[in-house]
Amino acid sequence: MAQLSYRDAVAAAIAQEMRRDKNVLFLGEDVAAAGGVFKATVGLLDEFGPLRVRDTPISEQAILGAAMGAAMTGLKPIAEIMFSDFFAVCWDIVVNEIAKARYMSNGQHECPLVIRSANGGGARFGAQHSQSIENWAMAVPGIKVVAPSNAADVKGLLAASIQDPDPVLFFEQKSMYGLKCDVPEGDYIIPLGQANIAREGSDVTIVALAAMVPKALKAAEVLQEKHGLSCEVIDPRCLVPLDTKSILESVSKTGRLVTVEENPRLCGWGAEIASIVGEECFWNLDAPITRITTPHIPLASVDVLEDLMIPSVDRIVSVVSEMD
Amino acid sequence: MNVLMPQLGETVSEGTIAVWHIKVGDTVAKDDPLLDVETDKAAIEVPAPKAGVISAINVAEGETVDVGVVLVVIDVEGEESAAADSETASPAAAPAQAAAPVAAPTPAATPMSSPTSAAATGSVAKSGAMLSPAVRKLVSQHNLDVSSIAGTGKKGRVTRQDVLAIIDGSTAAPAAAPAQAAVTGRSTPVPVPAPIGADARSLIPFDRIRKLTADHMVMSKATSPHVLQAVEVDYTAVDAVRKSYGPGWKADKGYSLTYLPFIAKAIVLGLREFPKINSSIVEEALQLHPLINLGIAVDLNFEGLVVPVVRDCASKSVGQIAEGIKALSIKARSKSLSPDDFAGGTYTISNSGPFGTLMTAPVINQPQVAIMSTDGIRKRPVVIESESGDSIAIRPVGILAQSFDHRAFDGAYSAAFMNRVRNILEQQDWASEL
Amino acid sequence: MTKSKDKTSSAGKYPLNETKQLELYQLMAECRALQQRAHDLFMQNLVKGTTHLGLGQEAIAAGFGAAMRKDDYTFNTYRGHNHNYVRGVSMTAILGELMGRDIGQLRGKGGSMHITDTTKGAMGSYAIIGAHMPIAAGAAWSAQYRGTEQAAVCFFGDGTTNIGAFHEALNFAAIWKLPVVYVCENNQYMEYTAIGDVTAVPNPAADRAASYGLTSILVDGNDAELMYETAMAALDTARSGGGPTLIEAVTYRHYGHSRADPGKYRPDEEVAEWKNNRDPLPLYRNKLLEAGMPESKLAAIDANTEEMIDKATEEAKSSGPPPDEIAFTDVWADGGAAWRN
Repeated sequence: MAQLSYRDAVAAAIAQEMRRDKNVLFLGEDVAAAGGVFKATVGLLDEFGPLRVRDTPISEQAILGAAMGAAMTGLKPIAEIMFSDFFAVCWDIVVNEIAKARYMSNGQHECPLVIRSANGGGARFGAQHSQSIENWAMAVPGIKVVAPSNAADVKGLLAASIQDPDPVLFFEQKSMYGLKCDVPEGDYIIPLGQANIAREGSDVTIVALAAMVPKALKAAEVLQEKHGLSCEVIDPRCLVPLDTKSILESVSKTGRLVTVEENPRLCGWGAEIASIVGEECFWNLDAPITRITTPHIPLASVDVLEDLMIPSVDRIVSVVSEMD
Repeated sequence: MNVLMPQLGETVSEGTIAVWHIKVGDTVAKDDPLLDVETDKAAIEVPAPKAGVISAINVAEGETVDVGVVLVVIDVEGEESAAADSETASPAAAPAQAAAPVAAPTPAATPMSSPTSAAATGSVAKSGAMLSPAVRKLVSQHNLDVSSIAGTGKKGRVTRQDVLAIIDGSTAAPAAAPAQAAVTGRSTPVPVPAPIGADARSLIPFDRIRKLTADHMVMSKATSPHVLQAVEVDYTAVDAVRKSYGPGWKADKGYSLTYLPFIAKAIVLGLREFPKINSSIVEEALQLHPLINLGIAVDLNFEGLVVPVVRDCASKSVGQIAEGIKALSIKARSKSLSPDDFAGGTYTISNSGPFGTLMTAPVINQPQVAIMSTDGIRKRPVVIESESGDSIAIRPVGILAQSFDHRAFDGAYSAAFMNRVRNILEQQDWASEL
Repeated sequence: MTKSKDKTSSAGKYPLNETKQLELYQLMAECRALQQRAHDLFMQNLVKGTTHLGLGQEAIAAGFGAAMRKDDYTFNTYRGHNHNYVRGVSMTAILGELMGRDIGQLRGKGGSMHITDTTKGAMGSYAIIGAHMPIAAGAAWSAQYRGTEQAAVCFFGDGTTNIGAFHEALNFAAIWKLPVVYVCENNQYMEYTAIGDVTAVPNPAADRAASYGLTSILVDGNDAELMYETAMAALDTARSGGGPTLIEAVTYRHYGHSRADPGKYRPDEEVAEWKNNRDPLPLYRNKLLEAGMPESKLAAIDANTEEMIDKATEEAKSSGPPPDEIAFTDVWADGGAAWRN
């Protein structure tokens, strides 16, 4: 085990896979020479050289299109979209091409690529550089969606994503790049589609993703200490494929579900989980399902407003302690 | 006053008007039949709870309405309208094994309780309170009366935990029961002196079960001239079989083989030979019952009594009777006794044995004509007669005492029956009866 | 149209022998038959949805078809039956796909606009304008990285030259010197609008080449042998590390944009001129005959073509629709469609 930051875990996973497979390439804006604007890919150019680690122009469509063309013809590219907000600029390639190529070609096309991107707010970057768009990705059939909540999961899940034969959107949380934790050394893979029970409990199931996971865990401590409530915190890690079983089992046990989502309210990923639980676990519910989300407004830039909007530990504690 | 649609079963939520016996404008006396109500489980006659004039009939024949709906309004002299009917209540289903020497209410055609009435005594969540899907599922699965479960959630909500606690037996709830016919007899209030040196906490209001039981006991004593007769039984033969088959039985079934199923079987065999004791008085006739359905009185943690019935004991072996008794006690413990479990009793056994009492004079469980109390079995010195002379031996001995209704038969008949039961207990080849 | 700076650099450098000429003619004839039959089947309501025909534009597909190697990659638009045919996708498979049959190239899952055969390097037909241009660059990048001599050829229309992906792709391909040939089939109409009305420069592709440091190439798209030579030159450039080429080939489509479009926005005389006097198939036929090609050889090709298309039509017609279950296949590499456990 080594203490590694979230950002260093990104580089570590990419390096691990680039060493393993010479067909893994990496391209993006300022990713090579500068090591990425978030310094998440430092050292890769040095180790793997300019043929495998490439800086691109500001051309999101070209970046993703090229990644797709390369993936279709024998390579395993990793592309970076600097801010997940910019997916809107090249969403066509993701949704209309990458997500559908295999299906429309009746299984002929291969698309083993990873698009990693810095997602989420908390960095005071303003509405166009702070969005959490994992729910956009979840809504499109044909792409896998991964959103790790800690450095160890970054390493294991990014490695798994790179090895995965299907296209994966890998959402890193920019507010967590600096956070350190113990990360297993050497080859480390976490299979996609496995949730992590981050904390066991019996009174309520809290499903939280990415940056909301540490907040949910903190809230769970407070809830136990001050309110005597035993919270089970589940980190799905992947929205697609979704570990529905773990969530249903947990809610069957606790009878209560709360989701904590950084994305805006409407059609957030928690809405889908609430729907699944409401349909498949209805008779075990002892209280209405509750979603804690950023409200349905663009995120303000100023810190006091941004912190108010994005779900906080206090808000989680308050909502859960007042549940039926 | 309003007469509401009664609840005819724990999980029954509606009833159908079968036939009206009165019309608007009729004058009715107390207990006059008003209408017949039906569900798929039961049919009952709803009598007038008070005398008065029928001022409104709200539901037509053939209509189905929810429990608690006002069916008919009676103009009672001196009374304002719309008081909820609280005269009747239903006994509870309960957990415990130990019996107390009481009888249970009769399944006769008497008014039902309406749990939605505001007069529900004691604890509990009213129906119409927020019942979550989890609570509904558990309540349905275990046939519980949720209106009798105390809610510890917000605003008194019954939570899943509350229901689970009942099911696990960790909470002894004074739950409401399957719709049993309730009481028509009532006790006449007697002036009571103020308690001496007492404070408010020394006054314990009667809950539903207590009221029902009290009324039934008075009614039973008022109806049947009770005579007590007892025999002393040597349980050696039973004991021998209990000792040899007991461990195997316990290992196999998970519970012990007690004296009770043997006593029950002996009584059954006796009743076959003395059928007048397995009967009911109807008008001025004795209605013999073809089946012997034994009611086994079950105490509810000293809070009340129920008498679930093991049916058709004549066709059952000791083992089967034991199983039947065990099944009922499990159901009682999980509050899942249903109206069917209480229906059709023809003779009742009240078992004080575990408490080691000497003898008990039980109150007859109407409309039966006799009830047997089984009391403590202890080792006593007894005189054994033989051809070579008398000797003293130590034997397990206990008293069986029957209270019987002297209207139905006389002391000699009862005594002969008691003698027969004693002989069966002492001489039967019990090993082959298992 | 204006002359280009580099129009004739490939002329004469890639002579065609008789075999190659007959191959070229055959490809065009068969493409013509395929597209005509598709038109007819559409009029009989046997072709589902819509379809986009390349009647009149065969010389471009055929020219490249005859020039490319088996392991090259092609990317084309939804008007791409010909481009897939020349890579080796059968008539039966194409007609079957148009008619929504199980024997269709994609078993009905893709439809007319998405004909693909990766075993033949036909890397897809694309319906979002311009999207395939950066994808083609990616395939070229892959070849470059792996050190093979493969090239990628990307066919698109005049309308594509105004979309963002066109510009991103060309810049991208140019800076990385990717072995990709971009071929603009300028049939002079962007769907229902004359391309000149919506483009800032007269030659929508050729006049943009300089913006990406590329040579401006403007050719007659209906001259089969010229298309072949142009293709060969561009492919050689690609294979030898010379980077991308942008070609504008001027042509004309005989029918409307799609089958639903009767094409009434084009002047009748213009349509007549192109159909009667500038049709690439009779043009090449006559050119070959004038150069001494025996008529019988061409007739044999024609007769064979008729047989082929009829046989393919019957084969495709005799296949039923695909089974329901395939709707849930091939979302993922494991062949399935599951998003949860």
